[in-house]
Amino acid sequence: MHTTTLQTTNLTKKYGEQVALNNLNLSVNKGEIFCLLGQNGAGKTTTINLFLGFTNATSGEAIINDVTVKPNDVATKKFVAYIPEVVQLYGNLDGIENLDFFSRLAGFKYSKEKLTGFLSKAGLQSEAHQKRLSTYSKGMRQKVGIAIALAKNADVILMDEPTSGLDPKATAEFTKICKELAADGKTIFMATHDIFNAVNVGTRIGIMRQGELVHTVNTTDITANELQKLYLETI
Amino acid sequence: MPNRLLIKQFLRSGIAIAGISLFLLTGIISLFIGKSYLVKQREKIETTAAYQQQHIERNVQYGHSEMGLLLYYLRFAYVNSINPLNGLSIGQRDVNLGIQQVTIRNLIEKKYDSDLNNPASLVMGNLDFSFVLIYLFPLLIITFTYNLLSEEKEEGTWRLINIQSNAAKKVLLQKWWIRFAFVTGTLLLLYLLAIPILSIPINASYLAMIAEGVLYILFWFIACAMVVGWQKNSATNAVSLLSIWLLLTIVAPAVINSLITTKYPVPEAMATVVANREGYHDKWDRPKEETMGRFYAHYPQFQQYRLPAEDFNWLWYYAMQQMGDDDAAEHSVAMRNKLLLREKLSNTVGYFIPTLHTQLQYSLLAQSGLKNQVQFLDSTTAFHEKKRLYFYPKIFEKLPVLQEDWRKHYAVEYFKSEPPVNWIKLLLPLLLIIILFTTAILYNLKT
Repeated sequence: MHTTTLQTTNLTKKYGEQVALNNLNLSVNKGEIFCLLGQNGAGKTTTINLFLGFTNATSGEAIINDVTVKPNDVATKKFVAYIPEVVQLYGNLDGIENLDFFSRLAGFKYSKEKLTGFLSKAGLQSEAHQKRLSTYSKGMRQKVGIAIALAKNADVILMDEPTSGLDPKATAEFTKICKELAADGKTIFMATHDIFNAVNVGTRIGIMRQGELVHTVNTTDITANELQKLYLETI
Repeated sequence: MPNRLLIKQFLRSGIAIAGISLFLLTGIISLFIGKSYLVKQREKIETTAAYQQQHIERNVQYGHSEMGLLLYYLRFAYVNSINPLNGLSIGQRDVNLGIQQVTIRNLIEKKYDSDLNNPASLVMGNLDFSFVLIYLFPLLIITFTYNLLSEEKEEGTWRLINIQSNAAKKVLLQKWWIRFAFVTGTLLLLYLLAIPILSIPINASYLAMIAEGVLYILFWFIACAMVVGWQKNSATNAVSLLSIWLLLTIVAPAVINSLITTKYPVPEAMATVVANREGYHDKWDRPKEETMGRFYAHYPQFQQYRLPAEDFNWLWYYAMQQMGDDDAAEHSVAMRNKLLLREKLSNTVGYFIPTLHTQLQYSLLAQSGLKNQVQFLDSTTAFHEKKRLYFYPKIFEKLPVLQEDWRKHYAVEYFKSEPPVNWIKLLLPLLLIIILFTTAILYNLKT
C-alpha cells in the first residue's frame, strides 16, 4: 500500500534558457486533493506533463507510486488518469461508447451496465448516456472524463484547470465528485486558477511562481480570503 | 483494441458514407459506360458480319464477270475481337480502328485509317472503370486518411489516447485498416458487379486486374500513411497528398508521354502513306516489265503467269497495287518498330510510377493498348496476304466468278489475342514500391 502516490525530487524543466520548473520538491499522499495555484507560465501544466511522461525532465525525478516516470512512463501510465480543461472525446460516439472506447484502450472491457454505472457515479444524467458527445456541454464532458478515470481505476487523477469555464452549479457538482473520489482513496492533483474552489475542494494548496513552489498550505489552516491575499502577495 | 467503436466512429462521420456512396455510384456509372461501349462495338461487328454476306452476294450476283474486277470491289472484314475486359478499360480502342475492311489491293494506306470519332468525347476522355480506379479512388483515399493523426491532435483526443494506452500507434493502424477495408470493399464490390454487367468471365486476366487494382489502392494507402507519419497539420497533409496525386496522375504521365514522343518521333506515319500512294500511282507511267519484274521477285511462285499483250490486264494492275505496299514497307516497318519502342519505354518508366504502371497493365489485360493495336495490325497484314495468295491465282488464271464458292467468304474473321498474364511484371513494381514506402514508415516510427 502506497501512502505517498505523487512525488517530485528536484524536478527541473528548461526549454533552452527558459526555466519552466525549478527544483520542485513535492509529495502528495493517497486520498489527498492537492491544488496547485499560479499564474499562466508558473509551471503548473509543466508539472502535470512531467507526471504524464509527455515531456522529459531536465533534471530531477517525477515519481508515481514509487516508480520514476521516466523512463518507466509505460508502467506509470496505468496509475494515472487525466482530465484537461476541456475533455476532448469523439463527438460522433455517445457517452457510453466513448467511455467504452477509452476503457478498452486502457485494457478494461466492461458491460454496458458497468459503463452506465461509471457515468452515473461521475454525475452524468442517464438521459445523456446515449446522446452523442457533440451535443454535450463542457460540464457533461468533464463528467465523462471523470467516468473514464473511474473506469481506469487509476490511483492518481491529474486535472488541468478542470473547472475553468464551468458554471457555478457544474463547479459545485464537480467539487462534490472530487471529494467522493478522494474519499474512495484516489489522489487528485489539480492545477487551477480558482482560489475559492481550491480552498473548497483541496486538502492542500501549493502556490507557484516562475517555476518555483513558493508556498504550501493546508486548507484547514487558511480561509479563502487569506489564501487570496497570500496568492496576490506571492505572484 | 476497440475495432467496433472505431468502425462506428468512422461510419458516423458524414464523409464516410457520402464518400463510399458517391464512389460506388461513380463506379457503377463507369461500368455502364463500359457496357455501352461494348454494346456499341458488338453492334458494329454484327452489322459488319451481316453486311459482308450481302456485299459479296450483291457483287457476285449483279456485278462483275471478271474475277479481277470483282475483287477490286470486294471487301473482307477483319475484326479485333472485343474482350469483355475492354468495358473496364477502353484505352485506345475507341480511337483505333477495330474493324478493318480490306480488299486485296494495297493495304498499308488503309491500315492506318481511323474511325470517325466524336471530338468532344475524345477531349473529355472516357469515364471508364480504369479512370475511376486510377484517377478518382486516390482522392477518396486521401479524403479518408489525410487527417488520420492530425485530426486527433487538433481535436485533442490524441493526448487522452496516449494516457489511456501505451499502444496509441495501434489505434492509428486500426483506423488506417478500417478505411482500407471499406475502400477495398467498395472496389471489390465494383469488381463483383462488373461480372454480370459486362459479362466478364472469371479468368486469369480478370483476377490479375483485381489483384492490380487492390495493390494500387494499397499503394495509395501506404503513401497516405507515409505523409500522415510526417506529423504535420491537416491542411499541410491535404496539400501534400493532393500534390502527390496531381504529380502521379496528371503531371508525370503527361511529361513522360511528351518525352517519349520526342525521343521516338514517327515521321514515318506520313512517309508511309505517301510512299504507298506513289508506289502504286507511279507505276501507271512506268514500263510494265519493270513492275512485273519486281512483282515476280516478290512472288516467284507467280512467274508462270506471264504478262499478256493487251493494254490493261489484272495481273499488271495487282502487281502495281503490290508495289504500293512494297514501296511503303520500309517506312511501315520503321513506324511499327517506333510504336513498339514507345510502348516498351512507357512500360519501363511505368515500373517506377504506379499510376502509369496500373494504366498500362489494365490496357494490356483488357487488350486495349498500343501493343494490342500493333498486334492487330500485324495480323491484318497476314490476313490481307492470305486473301491475296488465295485470289491471285484465280485472277491470273481468269477463272469464272461463279466457279468460286463465295459462301465460304461470308463469315467475318477475327483477331484474337489472349496473352498469358505475367504476374511478376504485373505486381512486382507496385509491391516493391509498397515495400519501400512501408520501410520508410517503419523507420519514421522508430525514430
